[in-house]
Amino acid sequence: MHYFNSRYPLYQKGNPQLRVFLSNFWMKLIRPEYKQPPNIVQFHCSMEMTKHDIKSYLDKIYNVKCVNVRTRIALGKTREEPGRGYVIKDDDYKIAYVILPKEHKFEFPNLFPESKEKEKEDHDKALDEMKKHHQNYLEKNRDRPGLPGWFSF
Amino acid sequence: MSLLNNIYNQLRISHKYVNRLFKERSCYISTSPIMRDLMEFFDDKKNWGATEVKTGRSWTKDDLRIKSNTDLHKLWYVLLKEKNMLYTMEHEHNDQVRLFPSPERLDKVLDSMENLEEVVRERNRAYYELETTEIGEQTHKTITGPFGLEIDYYETEHSIPKEVNAQWQKEQNTKCRPEDVKSFLLKYKEKEYLQNKKQQRRNFNHVIGLLNRFPKMDMEALKEQYPDVDIEKAKASRKYKPPLVFD
Repeated sequence: MHYFNSRYPLYQKGNPQLRVFLSNFWMKLIRPEYKQPPNIVQFHCSMEMTKHDIKSYLDKIYNVKCVNVRTRIALGKTREEPGRGYVIKDDDYKIAYVILPKEHKFEFPNLFPESKEKEKEDHDKALDEMKKHHQNYLEKNRDRPGLPGWFSF
Repeated sequence: MSLLNNIYNQLRISHKYVNRLFKERSCYISTSPIMRDLMEFFDDKKNWGATEVKTGRSWTKDDLRIKSNTDLHKLWYVLLKEKNMLYTMEHEHNDQVRLFPSPERLDKVLDSMENLEEVVRERNRAYYELETTEIGEQTHKTITGPFGLEIDYYETEHSIPKEVNAQWQKEQNTKCRPEDVKSFLLKYKEKEYLQNKKQQRRNFNHVIGLLNRFPKMDMEALKEQYPDVDIEKAKASRKYKPPLVFD
């Protein structure tokens, strides 16, 4: 992405408005850490994005009109590398609080529906059962390798 | 830039054309857009909680070369939305301590975007070479840096010419003491030389080990992978002890 970031002509004849043809900004919608009014949506976005960028990004690409945008830069977490002892710091990230018009409401959806969860639980249980049976079988045949399964009761 | 302007104009024209088409046939098809708004940041509802999401391959350069500029422009934004969606889903899965299903989707999207950008650059380069006999990209040259090493210098636009740009001039003239540079280069080159030597010896011994373990190996492939190793010399070494072969 070197080209699109670094070479944007400082001056062009007629001094036209900036136009981005292939935007490489990213944004991700995240679950708010603290309780927010229903018309505020929280995003993480590229560090280079300004409030105006965020506003036009949502408007032009996602067709979401917003009243106001507030941003802040959050400090990345520091943690100790396990077993090594030195400290690592994660990258800082930009958080955007997008305020939608008063009548709009957005609630972060639950991405893990009950039915799927239950299905997964059942599958895990069956797998565990199978593993246990196989372990039993191996235990039983430890002293008599190569004997066919039908030989004993 | 003019190529991009061209794309923009094409886009505008195609929009007009499409609008007209829709107006003519509005009685046959419904044109109301799918209003998904912020839900576009999330995956399809049927994929929520799934353990695997099946996808096709990424867009290759050959696929993209036969597309028009307008198509590429549209595809870029489709891919961008997909990327944002995958980032959102990945973040939420990590937050809730779940396994993100099929993470290779993200690699595919990023790969496609890289390919698409390369194809657009190709076209831009071709256009500029035809019009101005120069590739219309940022030029760079290798210059000797302050430590006596060669570095890439990317030329950028400045608001004032370099003859009057005192700060730039000062940056260019930052040089270390010549004696220091000389002694640094000596040590640097020695280090580089020793590293190469070590790597060569390691490769040589590794090839002997390979020959000992796999005497019927494909010699051409070996030569290709280790071009700096003389295989005849390796076989003459006292470490070369191939196992007896009874054929």
